[in-house]
Amino acid sequence: MDGRLTGMNRNEILLYLAYKGGEIPPEVNEAIDRCEALLLRTARPRVVWRRFPLDGDGAPVGTDFRPRGEDVKALLSGCEAVIFFAATLGAEAESLIRRTQVTNMADAVILDACGSAAIENVCDNLCADLAEAEAPLYLTDRFSPGYGDLPFSQQPDFCRLLDVGRRIGVTLTPGGLMLPQKTVTALAGVSPTPAAKRGRGCADCAMFSSCDYRKDGETCGQA
Amino acid sequence: MVRPVDKHDLILLDGAMGTMLQAAGLGMGELPESWNLTHPEEVTAIQRRYVEAGSDILYANTFGANRLKVAKSGYTPAELIAGGVRCAREAAGDRPVKVALDAGPIGQLLEPLGTMAFDEAYDIYKEMAVAGEAAGADLIIFETMSDLYEVKAAVLAAKENTSLPVWVTMTFEATGRTFVGVTVSSMALTLEGLEVDAMGFNCSLGPKELMPMVEELARWTDKPLILKPNAGLPDPATGAYTITPEEFGASLAAAAALGVTVFGGCCGTTPDFIRAAGQHLASAAKNRPERTRRGVCSAARTVPFGGVRVIGERINPTGKRRFQQALRENDIGYILERAVEQQDAGADILDVNVGLPGINEAEMMVKVVKAIQSVTDLPLQIDSSDPAAVEAGLRAVNGKAIVNSVNGRREVLDAVLPLCKKYGAAVVGLCLDENGIPETWEARAAIARRILEAAVSYGIPREDVLIDCLTLTVSAQQSQATETLKAVRYVTEELGLHTVLGVSNISFGLPARENITVSFLTQAMHAGLDLPIVNPNQKAVMDAVASFKVLSGQDVDSAGYIERFAGADAAPPSPAPSTDGGMTVGTAIAKGLREETAALTAKALETMSELDAVNTLLIPALDAVGDRYEKQEIFLPQLINAANAACEGFEVIKRSIAARGASSVSRGKIIIATVHGDIHDIGKNIVKVVLENYGYTVVDLGRDVPKEAVVEAAIREDAKLVGLSALMTTTVASMAETIAALRQSGHDCRIMVGGAVLTPEYAAEIGADYYAKDAKQSADIAKLVFG
Repeated sequence: MDGRLTGMNRNEILLYLAYKGGEIPPEVNEAIDRCEALLLRTARPRVVWRRFPLDGDGAPVGTDFRPRGEDVKALLSGCEAVIFFAATLGAEAESLIRRTQVTNMADAVILDACGSAAIENVCDNLCADLAEAEAPLYLTDRFSPGYGDLPFSQQPDFCRLLDVGRRIGVTLTPGGLMLPQKTVTALAGVSPTPAAKRGRGCADCAMFSSCDYRKDGETCGQA
Repeated sequence: MVRPVDKHDLILLDGAMGTMLQAAGLGMGELPESWNLTHPEEVTAIQRRYVEAGSDILYANTFGANRLKVAKSGYTPAELIAGGVRCAREAAGDRPVKVALDAGPIGQLLEPLGTMAFDEAYDIYKEMAVAGEAAGADLIIFETMSDLYEVKAAVLAAKENTSLPVWVTMTFEATGRTFVGVTVSSMALTLEGLEVDAMGFNCSLGPKELMPMVEELARWTDKPLILKPNAGLPDPATGAYTITPEEFGASLAAAAALGVTVFGGCCGTTPDFIRAAGQHLASAAKNRPERTRRGVCSAARTVPFGGVRVIGERINPTGKRRFQQALRENDIGYILERAVEQQDAGADILDVNVGLPGINEAEMMVKVVKAIQSVTDLPLQIDSSDPAAVEAGLRAVNGKAIVNSVNGRREVLDAVLPLCKKYGAAVVGLCLDENGIPETWEARAAIARRILEAAVSYGIPREDVLIDCLTLTVSAQQSQATETLKAVRYVTEELGLHTVLGVSNISFGLPARENITVSFLTQAMHAGLDLPIVNPNQKAVMDAVASFKVLSGQDVDSAGYIERFAGADAAPPSPAPSTDGGMTVGTAIAKGLREETAALTAKALETMSELDAVNTLLIPALDAVGDRYEKQEIFLPQLINAANAACEGFEVIKRSIAARGASSVSRGKIIIATVHGDIHDIGKNIVKVVLENYGYTVVDLGRDVPKEAVVEAAIREDAKLVGLSALMTTTVASMAETIAALRQSGHDCRIMVGGAVLTPEYAAEIGADYYAKDAKQSADIAKLVFG
């Protein structure tokens, strides 16, 4: 199961560009097309995942890592196993976005938005692949450090468990931020029954504290 | 000393340590190296099993014993390293087994992708290396490395502070590159230049998958080769490895025929794997294929010698007022544009010259080299007559560089050649000496031979000596053009060396210079010139190179030529930017049209002063665009495009001012930084572009900036406005501390803050004067502050 980047959701890109309706000028659309193609060509997405059975108390067997919070507990209740994963667009994409900030900031802004949409796509593809491999079991929604009450401070533990440095070239800054920046860590449960999709509301969103829509009392429409 | 000088003498390393420790009970999140002190018997027991399996060298359990990784353990790197070496010695007992200090990646990404400075990485490895030598290690091995820059810091730290042999193994993906894009050839050329004692691969993949890379490595170096692969590929679900000790041993034995002499195992291997490897290697066919390739490189791109490679000459202030102004005003952006533009035009290597009276050349060289490396992957040519600047540049280079230049003068050779040797650079030798430039080709050839002899006596391979036979201006010394060509032919054919030549000088003082330049270039390439130093932005020059490559057979099937000229016959010449047809500076900027903005600004300067052009044309146009952005009529990229177009207008103004020798107009100086602990800086970079394009001078301190650095810069630059950004809730605290430190310093300045998690209320709470919602507002604030 390799990292697969198959496309980017245009609405998501527009969302990251703070688009709030109205007509999209053709030159912006063209620029997004161009940046999307460039990123597709450049990015080398990489993923790493580990699967652990859950014991009677819902704790993973084979590791002493314990994700904290009630939300994960709820997500994993009734599950047979948990899959931890990390996905990154890689240093190639990171380098492209940084380089473009010097040569063409307008494109860099779009590339950055494309990168955010792209890493979501890589995660979606991985989860689809994992779900297929788990059939007839089901995969729950994915849940990342920073969502709900799963503390962001556990990001380093996800990284250690998955050996992200060796396996996919991801490093942590002293403050616990991941580099390359377009990197996601998450967990998902493996359940005998199809879990109700949680429909990521604002509270479950990693953007909770920084979302421009929420600041203005609106939502992005994905909730 | 462990130096496998005999290429047929095989050395067996050990296998995995981490997984064995976990099996022995090492907990998740527990520092493996702490076991050297808390569970030394267990560590020794594992290593003893490797000794019994036949290991000649044990890796001490010190992989992560660097000051950052051990910070929370309560131990120092020196304590853990001493313990690690002690455990391994204990395991070796009285057998002739050597102990290596093992050092892995620091765990933080270095500049430019990450935030760790090269010098900090150097210090961290220095501490480890010194501790390793003090503890009695026999050699130092840096392993599992992906970043060549980090490796360079590590190797220099080890070689400059210990006398131990240094081995390096790096980790590659099946694509033939590391996670940060390093190629096998770049690794080989760079590490060979730094004189490591052996190099190769560890971790990464299984032995079978690494074979093509082993073959590639042997083509690019004469150094002993190391192979320490994983036990195949891991099962993603469980992390378990897949191949058996038998298969592993058989694969390693196959690598002996490709030139590998040092073998071991990484993730998933056990003493059984090492034993099997030893058995298979005992009867393995050994062979070292001949090294066939040479060249120079950056971390991600190798430019092989052989065939014409263009060296771009545009990063050089000589005779260029605008470039001199950029150097004096620390305008690195201008220099970076010259780098990118030359790469786009087809340069293979970039010459970097930043020598200008009144600036610290060594400091500027480091700054410019690092900046260029963040935007292009072309190998660099460090161009300076100041040995201090040469050394500073060579240290900062990521890859194998060229030094431009030495000449036949003994004191120059003795000052610069040792630097080339130490940092593994190729060197340009100019055919002149204390008596000037000889008039005959024979006399120049004699100097070339002298330079070659001197270089070789310093241990520089003759293939890395590049001779410049010198171009003289044909309008002044007409007979000299043919002398130069004869010298090029002699150096190429008789000495067998590569030649460099600054070509453009030939046509100085003549009309229609391009004719002479291109004709001379073609003749010189025919005589053997393979490293012309030219302006790659001149289409005719690059066309001549493309044509020569076809005629000389380098461009196989004319593929490069056809690509370059595809559609050339069909496409009409692009029209010159229109300066009439009713377009104004305002509309050009609003539409983001750079060339038009530049042309219209130049036209405006015919009738008005620079200052008037700024105040009545450029700024109002930007304001109009800003208003539309605020009303959400346009997108952020459009705002930036408009700002970039305006920048072209400002560029015309700057050039016009530079031509008069006056200093440039600035609306005020602003310091910006992404605060300590935060690495998300795209927002700050957008603000920079917009503020600069509004005519302000922006001193960008970068990201992850300590509060002390902000205070120091604010005072040094006497900045009246400081902009701080933070993206994470976790780093807003750092922003508050920076504001407090600025206030405490007593420096009189206004502070604006921005970033996704901030609100106006929060900004006020942490003591900022202004909250900037976006880049446009930061420009409004600047206008308020500076009037």
